[in-house]
Amino acid sequence: MKYYPLTAAQNMHYRWIREYGTQQVSGVSIVASMKAPMDLKLLKRCVLEEYQRYGCMRLQFTKPDKNGEIKQYLSSRIPEDIKTVDLTDKGSLAEADAVMQQWAYKTFDGDNIPMCEIFIVVLPEGYRGLFVHMDHRLVDSSALGVMVSDIFKLYMHYQYGASMPAECADFRKVLERDLARAGDPKRFEKDKRFWKEHFDAYGEPLYSDIQGCGVLEEARRLHGDPKLRAADIERRELFVTVKDHYLEPKPSRRLFNFCTEHNVSMTNLILFAMRTYLSKVCGGQEDITIENFISRRSTHDEWSSGGSRTIMFPCRTIIKPDTEFLDALYLIQQTQNMIYMHGSYDPALIYEEARRRYGTPEDTGYVSCYLTYQPMMTYSTSDKLKKIPMHINWFANGAATKKMYLTVSPNEKGELKFSFHYQTVRLTEHDIELMYYYMMRILFMGIEDSHITVGEMLEKA
Amino acid sequence: MEERFKEILAQYTSLTVEEITEETRFRDDMELSSLDFMTLLGEVEDEFDIEFEETDSVGLFTFGDAVKLIRRKMGDE
Repeated sequence: MKYYPLTAAQNMHYRWIREYGTQQVSGVSIVASMKAPMDLKLLKRCVLEEYQRYGCMRLQFTKPDKNGEIKQYLSSRIPEDIKTVDLTDKGSLAEADAVMQQWAYKTFDGDNIPMCEIFIVVLPEGYRGLFVHMDHRLVDSSALGVMVSDIFKLYMHYQYGASMPAECADFRKVLERDLARAGDPKRFEKDKRFWKEHFDAYGEPLYSDIQGCGVLEEARRLHGDPKLRAADIERRELFVTVKDHYLEPKPSRRLFNFCTEHNVSMTNLILFAMRTYLSKVCGGQEDITIENFISRRSTHDEWSSGGSRTIMFPCRTIIKPDTEFLDALYLIQQTQNMIYMHGSYDPALIYEEARRRYGTPEDTGYVSCYLTYQPMMTYSTSDKLKKIPMHINWFANGAATKKMYLTVSPNEKGELKFSFHYQTVRLTEHDIELMYYYMMRILFMGIEDSHITVGEMLEKA
Repeated sequence: MEERFKEILAQYTSLTVEEITEETRFRDDMELSSLDFMTLLGEVEDEFDIEFEETDSVGLFTFGDAVKLIRRKMGDE
């Protein structure tokens, strides 16, 4: 058996498991089903075949050593059977979803155990498909999407004679290459220097909160330090809930068109809206940091090998009020691009550097809001499937390490879905409503007049 | 260098090594996102032992532009 250390992306999840004391923070679950009389025996066979094709599904972790470190390895064992669960007695898909949501809270507790569980599900309203529950160290959302899609492609191949899906890239080979790259001393030094120079140039970041300046003020009082620039992170009450907002197809299209026309990515446009809202509620604060998740998935092998490749980096934006909207977008884009180039660095080292430099108290940080932009994932793999109604739902794992985590993704209807996951101990639905409303005001104010300054937007929004 | 660069590039796009020419555009022809592009530049740095400046990516539109830049960087060092 060959053992490997965790990659930076996997370590991020493992660090959260250790810090928050539960594997629940690393759970990821989805139901992917279609309204069709599927052959369940065949679907089961495809799932079992996928365990062979998509190596990361067999990933396991050793018992922590005396320093708490673990190693990963690929087990050769695949499950003997895949359980089928019939939920047709639930009145509706929504009720069936509620049951599966409970499954998503389940934790994988133990060492050297499988970290992936799949059920074949028979759902109300004629839907059949898969419920998948995994540990995020095995897959990120993109990899999970690729896996589900591959299973359906296999099904289409065996059932309808569609072409056999291409082989998945070897997980082990890609893992070894990632570890080698991260361990390359020249690369490491370049990345380290980039972040060091970043702190040298801009100094200590400043906390900003979705609920305004009062949160930092309270942290200053609590720690007896009126100059403190970081605020406390919630470690105990992790319960999270989800509020989804959908931006209609027409305005969504306008945002996409603006991005294309001005060569700006949707991620950067949304980052701008988030940071400007935070600035607004924090009395015009110019220095705002948001953590942005980046999927290190660019090459063919990286796309089809599975694994957890998503990692977050702080995106620090210091924007003067007289900066025009478009210039501010380009500033954010430039910052993000440089971060992308140094994306093989372990972000844990950035936080360590900040702690070492500024001596911030334990369990404090500079960020309250996190962002992932997920380009549309489609599961349909042939014209035949495209006509079949699908029911796909991502479930919250029930425990959030972050105060507010926004996932934005386009859907098949042409809408932009804004999915806010927030810790209920601190935030209410009203806080989220306000944030979404102002983000939209800010975005459309900007795309209607790209010469408007950030200061004017703060006043008018 | 050009051939090796094409091989690296072909891992990022649906184009084959043979299909990549001086005029092939990163965004329109290869459909590289900014993340893909910057990741590619990082890999190019490691492969050819060069270092890009923050502003180097501005004005890089085609394979030919990038080859010129890499040559200049290799010559500088």
